[in-house]
Amino acid sequence: MLAEVPSATLLGVEGHRVLVEVHVGQGLPGFTVVGLPDASCREARDRVRAAVLSSKLKWPDTRITVNLAPTHVRKVGSGLDLAIAMALLGASKQLNPEALKGLMFLGELGLNGTLRPILGILPLVDSLSAGRVVVPAENLAEARLVRPDARGVRTLSELVSALRAEEPWPDPPVRESTSGPAEAYCDLAEVQGHPVARRALEVAATGGHHVLMVGPPGSGKTMLAERLPGLLADLDARGAMDVSRVHSAAGLLRVHNGLLTRPPFRSPHHTASLVALIGGGSTLLRPGEVSLASGGVLFLDELGEFPAAHLDALRQPLESGIIRVARANANVTLPARFILVAATNPCPCGVGQWGECRCTPGQIARYGRRLSSPLLDRFDIRLAIDPPEAAMVFASQRKGESSMEVRTRVERARMRAQERGVSSNRELRGEALEKFAPLSDQGRMLLRSRLETGSLSMRGAQRTRAVALTLRDLEGTGGPITTDDLEGALLLRGEEQQIGVLA
Amino acid sequence: MTQVATPQNPSPDLPHEAYLTALASLDQVGPARMRWLLSFGSPEMVWHLLRAGKIRNPPAQLAVKPPQLTEWIAQANSADPQQIWSACCALGVGVVSLGSPGYPPALAADIDPPVVLFHLGNPDLLSSPSVAIVGTRRATGYGLRVAEELGAGLAEAGVMVVSGLALGIDAAAHFGALSVGTSGAAVAAVVGSGLHAPCPVRNRKLASRVASSGVIFSEVPPEVSGAPWRFPVRNRILAALSDAVVVVESPGAGGSMHTVREALTRDIPVLSVPGPIDSRASEGTNRLLSDGAEPCLGVDDVLMAIGLGGKKANTSASSPIPSQPDTRPVPDETGERALATIGWRPVSVEHLAARSGLEFQQLASTLAWLETHGWIQRTGGWIERRAKPDGSERLGRRPT
Repeated sequence: MLAEVPSATLLGVEGHRVLVEVHVGQGLPGFTVVGLPDASCREARDRVRAAVLSSKLKWPDTRITVNLAPTHVRKVGSGLDLAIAMALLGASKQLNPEALKGLMFLGELGLNGTLRPILGILPLVDSLSAGRVVVPAENLAEARLVRPDARGVRTLSELVSALRAEEPWPDPPVRESTSGPAEAYCDLAEVQGHPVARRALEVAATGGHHVLMVGPPGSGKTMLAERLPGLLADLDARGAMDVSRVHSAAGLLRVHNGLLTRPPFRSPHHTASLVALIGGGSTLLRPGEVSLASGGVLFLDELGEFPAAHLDALRQPLESGIIRVARANANVTLPARFILVAATNPCPCGVGQWGECRCTPGQIARYGRRLSSPLLDRFDIRLAIDPPEAAMVFASQRKGESSMEVRTRVERARMRAQERGVSSNRELRGEALEKFAPLSDQGRMLLRSRLETGSLSMRGAQRTRAVALTLRDLEGTGGPITTDDLEGALLLRGEEQQIGVLA
Repeated sequence: MTQVATPQNPSPDLPHEAYLTALASLDQVGPARMRWLLSFGSPEMVWHLLRAGKIRNPPAQLAVKPPQLTEWIAQANSADPQQIWSACCALGVGVVSLGSPGYPPALAADIDPPVVLFHLGNPDLLSSPSVAIVGTRRATGYGLRVAEELGAGLAEAGVMVVSGLALGIDAAAHFGALSVGTSGAAVAAVVGSGLHAPCPVRNRKLASRVASSGVIFSEVPPEVSGAPWRFPVRNRILAALSDAVVVVESPGAGGSMHTVREALTRDIPVLSVPGPIDSRASEGTNRLLSDGAEPCLGVDDVLMAIGLGGKKANTSASSPIPSQPDTRPVPDETGERALATIGWRPVSVEHLAARSGLEFQQLASTLAWLETHGWIQRTGGWIERRAKPDGSERLGRRPT
């Protein structure tokens, strides 16, 4: 007596199709699950048995073998419960195998036979091809994002009745999250002063350049960083799908009017573990903060307080836009294409003003050394942020531009970058820069003189050029990079050694 | 040539410098305690008396607690002067003691001479005239620039620059003096830690440059690390070796002020570099000026103070900064506006933009122009206005 039902398991942010085969045959009564299940998946045995009995169905008193194919892929979590139960009922002839044809099942079973929602419905459903998917009612909204014909059920007995054609399909109403995702983006218009930082944020949003802000507490670093996602354009269809998948896999997707379309903003605390930041874990390989920020902004406040190992682990995603997490039995690639915004105090005590600051020169040097220069090198924009002077705050009653106004400009400029075949100017390197960002004669001279005096490194010159191209894009006129663009880029780039005390 | 005792001496008759080194290596022994110990006899005798526990009853003002004395006795019994001596010689450190022929005459005549002096480099280069340039470790760009210019100017004029090899002003003065190259005078340093336990470690490279073209002194055995109390103590040697002391930048209290007091007790002229009255880094120097110290407005003032600047005295009096005319191109209206907004204190780009009201692009171009032509200097995220041209090439290489 054999039955098989397709389902899926989650690895990283990808669903993998799993065929659940159940064999009910002669032998001593027993129930084994084979095919590389992890602990929570093996526990399905007890949940399925209790759920079947609570739903007034029969438990076959014979030998039951469950195989999860392909057997080399590790199966994680409780999402296969429902598929195991359905295959078992099919194999024990309590359901007509014909009724199961063309159906796929995802969901966790409670001991009383209710269906519980599971993580990562979006990628799971997406990985299953032809056929209709049956999911727990609470996952229905998410499943319908990719499969409008997905069916939702609340209990095992409800599902069995429907399959036996004793009752109609329950088709519970789709319940979307009422609050919607945390969409309360702050507006740039609320920012008083900070003329250079505003411009810097606009450039970062356009060119995808990473930003480092150095300033004493209360100078507005966090406030500025929080406003960057508001300047980014809406995600395109593919971007929205990618972001939604990651959030679904992490259990953070709140469905409200379709897929996530606004770029995410993540700000992990500096005590976050390496796995929380990068992603991983021994079995589940969950996406970390860098993946959750993919397509949006990753804000690291108090950069100097993050352990050095964590910061250096950021280098690969900063360079390639993905992160590879390898474990003994699995190897996944997670998206990690974010704009990094980092903030730090100028010195350990945070005051950063000569006379007020109580740090010794040695302490300040040590504080600066915490950030490795390869990491500092990846910030194209490095700003010294000062608290705006009180006089300035009250003098300028004129409100600054709103996020929407800036966003329109950013969207227009970003189109130009996409015409070059990259998502943002940050990704332009070597030859591509040479091709898309030609220098005017004077511009070339300016860069050369900076290289000769040693105030700019070779890599610094390249990065300056990329930022200058972004400034040019914002200007909206084509043509070679002028000295004006380069000077703007140099102003934004600041100095290699930004950390220190204002004398 | 200095007569340095060598480790080739057979063990029974070690030079008395060996015993001095051994005594100076004892925990927490400074010049005052050393003098008390030596009141018991020759270094060798003191060493053996100490081992036998026969040195007792330290005077109250030395604050030697009984456990400290016990500690010394234990150390003296476990240490071998022969070994300490050969280790010291193996490091290439020269040792002279008060009264020996190689001992610097300037120190021999001092009121509080170090009993034993360790040196790296060539002590014969120690020459008159010499000027100490001192100041805070946490200097502003202005202070660093002035210290470097003074260092270079004095070395060029054949004056030996003496400093403490600390961060900030000290290092800048040495950098300036060394930048002149072989045509300038030699340089000297007096450090508060052992010569092979450099402090701060960041100036190690600079220290080896000073040693190769001058001399570094210390009254601490080579491998004893610097303790906070040793630095003020060495300031007296700094003052004693100099014909004048120039304070470039200093807060109201600190090591530089200590050096000034040591100089005043020795009747050595003290010059002070004026600074903005609202800058904490110039609090001490401005106070010195109002208390009657000689103002230092340039190299010529220093030369005059040590009796070398007779000829240039007139120009110095008529114009405070006579060294060179301002050759920088005149900034345009926007440049002037930016300069006026910057003022004479460091300002962040952000503040400058807010105060001047310049548009981003205008600001970027103006700042780039001003920086290229030497009107401003960027340090970290801040912009400082520069009063004088020149020095930009040197400043580029300066470690901060």
